[in-house]
Amino acid sequence: MSKRRYLSPALLGSVVVIATSGLVYELIAGTMASYVLGDSVAQFSFVIGLYLFAMGIGSYASKHIERDLLRRFVEIELAIALVGGFSAPLLFLVYTSFGAFRAALYSMVLLIGVLVGLEVPLLIRLLEFQLSLKDLVARVLSLDYVGALFASLLFPLVLLPKLGIHKTSMLVGLLNALVAFAATFLLPLEHGRSWRLRAECAIVSLGLVIGIVAFDRYALKHEATFFGAPIIYSSQSPYQRIVMTQSRQTTRLFLNGQLQFSSDDEHRYHETLVHPAVATLGHCPKQVLVLGGGDGLAVRELLRYPAVESITLVDLDPAVTEVFRNVPVGRKLNHDAFLDPRVTVRNEDAFAFLDETKENYDLVVVDFPDPGNYAVGKLYTLSFYQRLRQRIPPRGIAVIQTTSPYFARRSFWMAAETIAAADFEVLPMHVHVPSFGEWGFVVAGGPGITVPRSLQLPEGQLRFLGADELPELFRFPKDMSRVQVGINRLNDQPLVSIYTEEWDQWQR
Amino acid sequence: MATLTRRDLLAAIGAAWLVDAELPGRRPIDGVLVGASHRVGHLLRDGLPRANDAPSERADVVIIGSGISGASAAWRLAAAGVEVRMLELEPFAGGTSAWGEDGAVAHPWGAHYLPAPNPAARASLRLLEEMGEVTGWDALGNPQFKEESLCHAPDERLFYRDEWHPSLVPKAALDAAERRDLEHFRQRRNHYRTLVGRDGRPAFTIPLSLSSRDPELLALDRLTMSEWLDREGLHTRFMRWYVEYATLDDFGAELTDVSAWAGLHYFCARKLETAQLHGSHYLVWPEGNGRLVKHLLGRLHGVREHGQLVTGIESVPGGVRVHALDIGHGTPLGRTIDARAAILAVPGFIGRRLLQPAPAARLTARAASPWVVANLHVKRTFDPNHAWDSVLYESASLGYIDAGHQRTRPDERTVLTHFRAYGGADVARTRTELLGRGWASLASDVLLDLAPAHPNLAESTSRIDLMVWAHAMPRPRPGFLTASGRGPFETVTLLDERIAWAHVDQSGYALFEEANAHGVRAAEAICEVLGVNPGASWL
Repeated sequence: MSKRRYLSPALLGSVVVIATSGLVYELIAGTMASYVLGDSVAQFSFVIGLYLFAMGIGSYASKHIERDLLRRFVEIELAIALVGGFSAPLLFLVYTSFGAFRAALYSMVLLIGVLVGLEVPLLIRLLEFQLSLKDLVARVLSLDYVGALFASLLFPLVLLPKLGIHKTSMLVGLLNALVAFAATFLLPLEHGRSWRLRAECAIVSLGLVIGIVAFDRYALKHEATFFGAPIIYSSQSPYQRIVMTQSRQTTRLFLNGQLQFSSDDEHRYHETLVHPAVATLGHCPKQVLVLGGGDGLAVRELLRYPAVESITLVDLDPAVTEVFRNVPVGRKLNHDAFLDPRVTVRNEDAFAFLDETKENYDLVVVDFPDPGNYAVGKLYTLSFYQRLRQRIPPRGIAVIQTTSPYFARRSFWMAAETIAAADFEVLPMHVHVPSFGEWGFVVAGGPGITVPRSLQLPEGQLRFLGADELPELFRFPKDMSRVQVGINRLNDQPLVSIYTEEWDQWQR
Repeated sequence: MATLTRRDLLAAIGAAWLVDAELPGRRPIDGVLVGASHRVGHLLRDGLPRANDAPSERADVVIIGSGISGASAAWRLAAAGVEVRMLELEPFAGGTSAWGEDGAVAHPWGAHYLPAPNPAARASLRLLEEMGEVTGWDALGNPQFKEESLCHAPDERLFYRDEWHPSLVPKAALDAAERRDLEHFRQRRNHYRTLVGRDGRPAFTIPLSLSSRDPELLALDRLTMSEWLDREGLHTRFMRWYVEYATLDDFGAELTDVSAWAGLHYFCARKLETAQLHGSHYLVWPEGNGRLVKHLLGRLHGVREHGQLVTGIESVPGGVRVHALDIGHGTPLGRTIDARAAILAVPGFIGRRLLQPAPAARLTARAASPWVVANLHVKRTFDPNHAWDSVLYESASLGYIDAGHQRTRPDERTVLTHFRAYGGADVARTRTELLGRGWASLASDVLLDLAPAHPNLAESTSRIDLMVWAHAMPRPRPGFLTASGRGPFETVTLLDERIAWAHVDQSGYALFEEANAHGVRAAEAICEVLGVNPGASWL
């Protein structure tokens, strides 16, 4: 058989595709690992090392494949298409549902690495009769490296931002399946098995196409692009859609699409939520109640006070509190607040909890989502604050998240007026949180509460607040000063429509 | 929207055999037809031998009926220390304020809200205060209500031209003529709401009997509501629908069969205005007015027996003799109860069959509309902005309420209570037709009625329980006040020396406050007959 000097462009293209996809899987694994486990240098390092090692195993193992080379090659391509293609969704599923993420990740890297390691040696052997060894090795390996460059540029610049990690993974899997299909035409066939192989290719491709379509239709496509950052956690509870995203250093939590915090500046929000209220109380609280705040970030701040004896956190949605009890990113943010023995988490309706509890609390932190609908709006009514009042002794303090006094000025002051109507004296305050804008809270207590002058913590513990900043929080410039709006009651809830109207103006 | 056929619905509710087809994959809907016991009741109509041979039992006061009137009488007598024996035909208490406790949330079987009563409705406010529903009184003497019992926002919505609007009046979607009519109607309504008749009484108020006797106002009772609207030049389609929705909701009758006085009373009799009532002034509990019944009967001093068909009441020297059939335990068993007095808390048409001719003649019998109430047990995605009352424009029904609305905890499971009043002139025929229909046919009617707004409701519904109320509420037809053979607002309480009557048929208009007051009035009258001092009147 005479050896030709050239390989067909289709074959060359296939080599590039194989090389590109091999590297993309590695990058996907590395990205998932750094999203979920953090510490991206270490994670990328481990993934690359393991992957290359696994490729070595594959290359070595290739010598044991002696017969039916083309069939084996096509089958390996299809296996890569399946395992690699579904690697991102599978890892994601393991992470959200089963928890054994590390084991799954490294097994997956090992498996894909071995399969990819088999590819090039087999391809070279398939082509060995078409080209001299020196030409063959030169062509195939150079194209392999070109493909790697291609992948390393394409993945971070185009694939990840445009398609998101899941679709990238499935799309690249589809490319592998197409190479397998092409191979049945381009390479010499043995034993006339072509039809069966092609059918297998078609089945795998169809599976991946269905995956992509289903993903587009049902899954996180909107969010993946809408939130502008890759989603590392998402679930739908009976109450809300929970989405966490991570980009470089920033973790964000969204409930029903509404930003709850951004790890960049949540310290400003949570320090202001907790510490001025404790300062107004005038001593470290012993019995603390947190309503809402299922992210545990307010609890983290409360645990800075050694005198705290118990913190009861009441959040309706177990799906949220579970994330922040179990998922590494969440635990890292709240410093494992939910594992502290002083903390009790109760997944109940706050309204009902206040009705039933007999306990008194020196400090109550109320951190619900904004009153954007009538169900949440119930937690901003006179009736709710009257119940709250009954659980706080005369010298106790409550602090309540009350939306932005700048973007939703009337809403903010309506909440403050409603709290005051429940027999509280109120000290409204505000702080600038870059990812939210100007944000507001109301400190509420018995007669005669005054703006605190000092914190109940040693200076230097906090990133944002110091005693000097305290008076500033309670001063309202003209463009967000008090307006008379009325009271929010259960049987009326004007707050919901005012709030919606005010925020709509800014979002238009 | 996929076209929905009766066949689909029947298949969906598991009655596939009826249409000779089966749609695979659909979970059938469960349900029962719980009925006011008309079949037993009709034994009475069709003539029934009295069981005179039974050994006689003794009781202090017998109350026949456990609806609002009977329960209120029991409540009042308990406070006076009088022991009662309450006889109820149905296995459940409350009459048309009955309720159910099964499923995700308690739910009404009939009356499902109480508008904040006027200060003059003293007995009703006393009750609410006892229940903790009135929490205090302001400087003007107006009651303050427990905020969480007032209907939580949003209270109502209307499905109008393929979309939901957040109020029964979709202002933006109406044309200029309709808006003009509504504005005119609003002005007339405000006029009558504050109008004082020449006798110094408010034109329309609750209690009904405190309303003005001014002949000019009473003349409205000779008109139908439809004629009044004509007279005012209110002809637009939406305007007519809006008012007719009210007359069907409150009286179970169309504009053409309701006294204009009653129609205007509905819109103009609520006087209470406090800061708290800028929002909804409806008191709403999951079980509806069953909550009120529970409290009233919770105070009952004596015994309550169900499955008791009273067949006759006769005056005997020094007391009354009540004949009844105990139908609650298999074979009907005759009983005779000798009591010192009796309170008849049943509609006039039933009372006439129980009493001797002379007292029977003093009863007023009213035409009553049949109703079908459905409780749909559903599980669906929680909607944080769901209204309590959902009405479909120009549908045959009155729409539905969400019995779980007053819960604060979001829940996917709830019970929707769907109401349909059967108006029309031939009440008897409609009633017979309804009583002859089976569960599947009535249930599919409910789904069909809601289909324009909820085409896939069957998929989220696990059961539909139905109640046919053959005689749900009196219709205040033209002349109900002025042509009843007595003076307007004149109430006959004592039918005989020791038999008192307590029922909204006395008012001709089904209002909780009226039923409650009639019960209290009857109880106080009986105290006087028995020589018991009930203390100051609660009225």
